[in-house]
Amino acid sequence: MYKNFIKIAWRNLMKNKGYSAINIGGLALGMAVTLVIGLWMEDELTYNDYFGHRDRIALMYQSQTFNGETGTGPAIPRPLEMALREGYADNFKYMAMSSWNNAQYLNYEEKSLSRTGNFMQRQAPEILDLHIIKGERDGLREMNSIMLSESTAHALFGEEEAIGRVIEVNSEHDMMVSAVYEDIPANNSFHDLQFILPWDHYVANSEWIRDAEDQWSNNSFQLFVQIADNTTMEQVTQAIKDVKKDLNEDTVEFNPQLFLFPMKDWYLRGNFENGVQVGGRIKYVWLFGIIGVFVLLLACINFMNLSTARSEKRAKEVGIRKSIGSQRNQLIYQFLSESFLVVALAYGLAIVIVLLSLDHFNELARKEVAFPWSHLRFWGASLLFILSTALLAGSYPALYLSSFRPVDVLKGTFKGGKYSGTPRKVLVVVQFAVSVAFIIGTVVVMQQINYAKNRPVGYDKEGLIQLPTMSQDFEGKFDLMRSEFIASGAAIEMATSSSPTTQIWSNRAGYDWDGKPEGFQEDFAWTYVSTEYAKTLNLKIVAGRDFSKDFASDSNAVLINQTAVKYMGITDPIGLLLKDEDEENPDEPLKIIGVVEDMIAQSPYEPVKQGMYVFDKYGNGSFYNLRLNPEQSASQNLAVIERVFKEHFPDIPFQYDFVDEQYGEKFASEERIGNLSAIFTAFAIFISCLGLFGLTSFVAEQRTKEIGVRKVLGASVFNVWNMLSGDFLKLVVISCFIAVPIAYYVMNGWLQDYPYRVVLSWWNFALAILGALLITILTVSFQAIKAANANPVKSLRTE
Amino acid sequence: MLLELKNVFKWVQQGGQHVFLLKDISLQVEEGEFISVMGPSGSGKSTLLNVIGMLDDFDEGSYTFLDDPVHLLKAKHRANLYKQYIGFVFQAYHLIDELTVYENLEMPLLYKKHSGSERRAMVADMLDRFNIVGKKDLFPTQLSGGQQQLVGVARALISQPKLILADEPTGNLNSRQGEEIMELFRELNDEGVTIIQVTHSEKNAAYGRRIINLLDGRMIGEGR
Ligand SMILES: Nc1ncnc2c1ncn2[C@@H]1O[C@H](COP(=O)(O)OP(=O)(O)OP(=O)(O)O)[C@@H](O)[C@H]1O
Ligand SMILES: [Mg+2]
Repeated sequence: MYKNFIKIAWRNLMKNKGYSAINIGGLALGMAVTLVIGLWMEDELTYNDYFGHRDRIALMYQSQTFNGETGTGPAIPRPLEMALREGYADNFKYMAMSSWNNAQYLNYEEKSLSRTGNFMQRQAPEILDLHIIKGERDGLREMNSIMLSESTAHALFGEEEAIGRVIEVNSEHDMMVSAVYEDIPANNSFHDLQFILPWDHYVANSEWIRDAEDQWSNNSFQLFVQIADNTTMEQVTQAIKDVKKDLNEDTVEFNPQLFLFPMKDWYLRGNFENGVQVGGRIKYVWLFGIIGVFVLLLACINFMNLSTARSEKRAKEVGIRKSIGSQRNQLIYQFLSESFLVVALAYGLAIVIVLLSLDHFNELARKEVAFPWSHLRFWGASLLFILSTALLAGSYPALYLSSFRPVDVLKGTFKGGKYSGTPRKVLVVVQFAVSVAFIIGTVVVMQQINYAKNRPVGYDKEGLIQLPTMSQDFEGKFDLMRSEFIASGAAIEMATSSSPTTQIWSNRAGYDWDGKPEGFQEDFAWTYVSTEYAKTLNLKIVAGRDFSKDFASDSNAVLINQTAVKYMGITDPIGLLLKDEDEENPDEPLKIIGVVEDMIAQSPYEPVKQGMYVFDKYGNGSFYNLRLNPEQSASQNLAVIERVFKEHFPDIPFQYDFVDEQYGEKFASEERIGNLSAIFTAFAIFISCLGLFGLTSFVAEQRTKEIGVRKVLGASVFNVWNMLSGDFLKLVVISCFIAVPIAYYVMNGWLQDYPYRVVLSWWNFALAILGALLITILTVSFQAIKAANANPVKSLRTE
Repeated sequence: MLLELKNVFKWVQQGGQHVFLLKDISLQVEEGEFISVMGPSGSGKSTLLNVIGMLDDFDEGSYTFLDDPVHLLKAKHRANLYKQYIGFVFQAYHLIDELTVYENLEMPLLYKKHSGSERRAMVADMLDRFNIVGKKDLFPTQLSGGQQQLVGVARALISQPKLILADEPTGNLNSRQGEEIMELFRELNDEGVTIIQVTHSEKNAAYGRRIINLLDGRMIGEGR
């Protein structure tokens, strides 16, 4: 029986190649989009699945409240570790303190690589469940050992044995390779853990870290834990949440709350707003999931509409089959198996489309999604996907077609199109409403990105580069290098800073000043800078003056930004002293000598934070900032700078970043969303138009005779075009009225996440509506004009 | 007795009024009869045939088919009845264009769940009997009208029905082709199959052993 069904279905497909192409092609596109989104979602949702104990791994988090604003993050103070080890050890199976992930130079013989990794305590390999390829799991035992990822080891030693070899880290420390571990996959929080160095080494070689051992307010470290087997995250959090508060009086006023942030939430639910977890990326996972379902729905609607529109052709068959003894459910099965066939063919095509486009998609989405050929689960899901799509697309046509009564359809007067007209119109409206909503959404995302991009940054980011200078080699070389670079003609100015121009790495509190309000809990963005910082960046000084070598007292000088002036509630900042509140061992007061314009160093969507640019009397700069010579091309400048750099630091790889590119990175996430939604919107529109195209050609075909008669009676091409297109245009206008309020509501909600946001204006919507109408007219007109131009004598003779 | 209609009425609502399609039809059909239904266009012949064939409902009266009260049966049960006992032959042949002659013949057997080998044997029998073995892989559109109707009759016969209902089976055929079909009906009737046919032609009607005349949905007399 099913063979018979499939045979008929196949012959029908072959007989109407045009309709079949539209049907299968449209479904294939829709399914391809859904499939790609599905693979992407799977990749997102399985982030961090690499680790065997992922359900029991957590990062210690801390919430503190300043001036009623609660900030939450993974930075914790060192004494916390000892407190937990002493009083709460049985809550944890493993604990490992860790530094942040930072780049270091790894040198072996003449090779020098820059790789990122962490300093971690001895139990880290257990927590991370590292897959050790060579060497020992307990590879952080010795202070001078290093564990390397497989690819890092390969880059350094090639095929040679890695274990036991000694490499030089940052041209300072000789470290012996103790283990090589399998690379951690891309969809993992530790994907850039390319080496691990022992925590003890970190502590032993840095004074400030040693000093931090008893500093409860120095929140500069991370603590990874695996909880004990007999407890839960909630129980541990309950036990430890007040440890810092209980042991340290100084920080009580900030109400420090500790909690375990489980690994499963790191990636997808990592946003906190005023101390409360508020989701995160997961929002986009679901957003794209919904988009995927909608695109599939659009393709299914095409299938439904074309099937029912052509019902006249199938009605006779239904009548015959019923009069021969078929029951209705047998016919329903028949039509469902037909839609199954079509969907299965479409799915095959969809897989081809996905294979062809996966690389582009990965590039666009910055993913490494592979096609899961060998996953049984994938094929199971595929079958389910085909079945449910077949059901979604085929149920309505199956129910509709199988309902015909043989007495009606066999008389030969049956006009199927007439009866099914209304649902078909409703479906077209749904299609275009979805498409128009997609257009509006995409336009708004793009606009918001442009709006933020055009926001003045406060300095001149063009022609500005930064070189990392975190190794000891750079110590005391600033003045020399500045004059060398300027003398070379490649740069016209240079300054150092303790964090990149586009980031804030440090925040400070604990200052008093004249006129500070009672109980004010201050918090400043904090950057050490050298002289000429403002000049290098073209950062405007709006009051006071820049640092100057002419004033010896400038070693304790500070520039603040305009927001800081407002924040501190002062009117005349110049000359104001900022006194260190630390009573035992106070630093010298800082003197405000100037006010600079606000510059965006963090999110371009948020207000600029109150900030201090403190004169770098210790030479702590982590970056050289160079203003390139505008008279020459950037590549010329860079070649010269590299040569000068290599003369002085032959062992250090020459690395640099363009500040404008770094700044551009801030838009990467939104741009990715914008680009993806633009592409999905294009598909949605294309699929909808494909359906409309099919419907118009059906209507034109159905009305060939009528059009012929009208033309004989004197109708113009325009009259006929109007008659055929008008109906569809009306439907699209209705769609717009449905789509606009929904899109407005959703996009307005999306924009609320951005304090600095574009105002939705009517022309966004007008543009989308206009676009939809234009596309409709083009799609519909092709068939309408073809029909209108047909020779009436010919079309009348076909009867 | 094969079937019996008693005081059957059928109407449709039109502008708040009942328009009668069948009026007080009472009819008994014995097994082995050959009946011709005649009457002017619009008199209700097709309607009557469809009611007998259970493709259409009626509004009043009773209908008994082989002791089963058709008017009381559920749709599914009714479908089973006609699937088993009734074969249709249409004026417009109504073959499925996407299926070959062979597959068209096979189709009713599929709905009656015959095994593959049974089906092959039965279809081969029919092809043989109607002399269309050579045409079995052709599609209906590749056949002449007479040949198509031959296939239509073969399809109606293949599930070995007790009753064949034919609505103007020769309406689209030339007189020679029509005669062939009528001869075939006579043969079948001789073998014991009951036949009810609608026809406009006196000549074809004469093949029947009983003639029913309709006018405006009412039986206006019988002849032999
Ligand atoms: N669904 C319906 N609604 C209204 N009138 C109907 C309906 N079906 C049939 N009729 C009317 O019932 C009458 C009988 O129709 P029927 O098809 O039975 O005639 P017929 O005798 O077979 O005619 P012909 O010889 O032309 O085939 C006609 O007048 C027709 O218009
Ligand atoms: Mg008739």
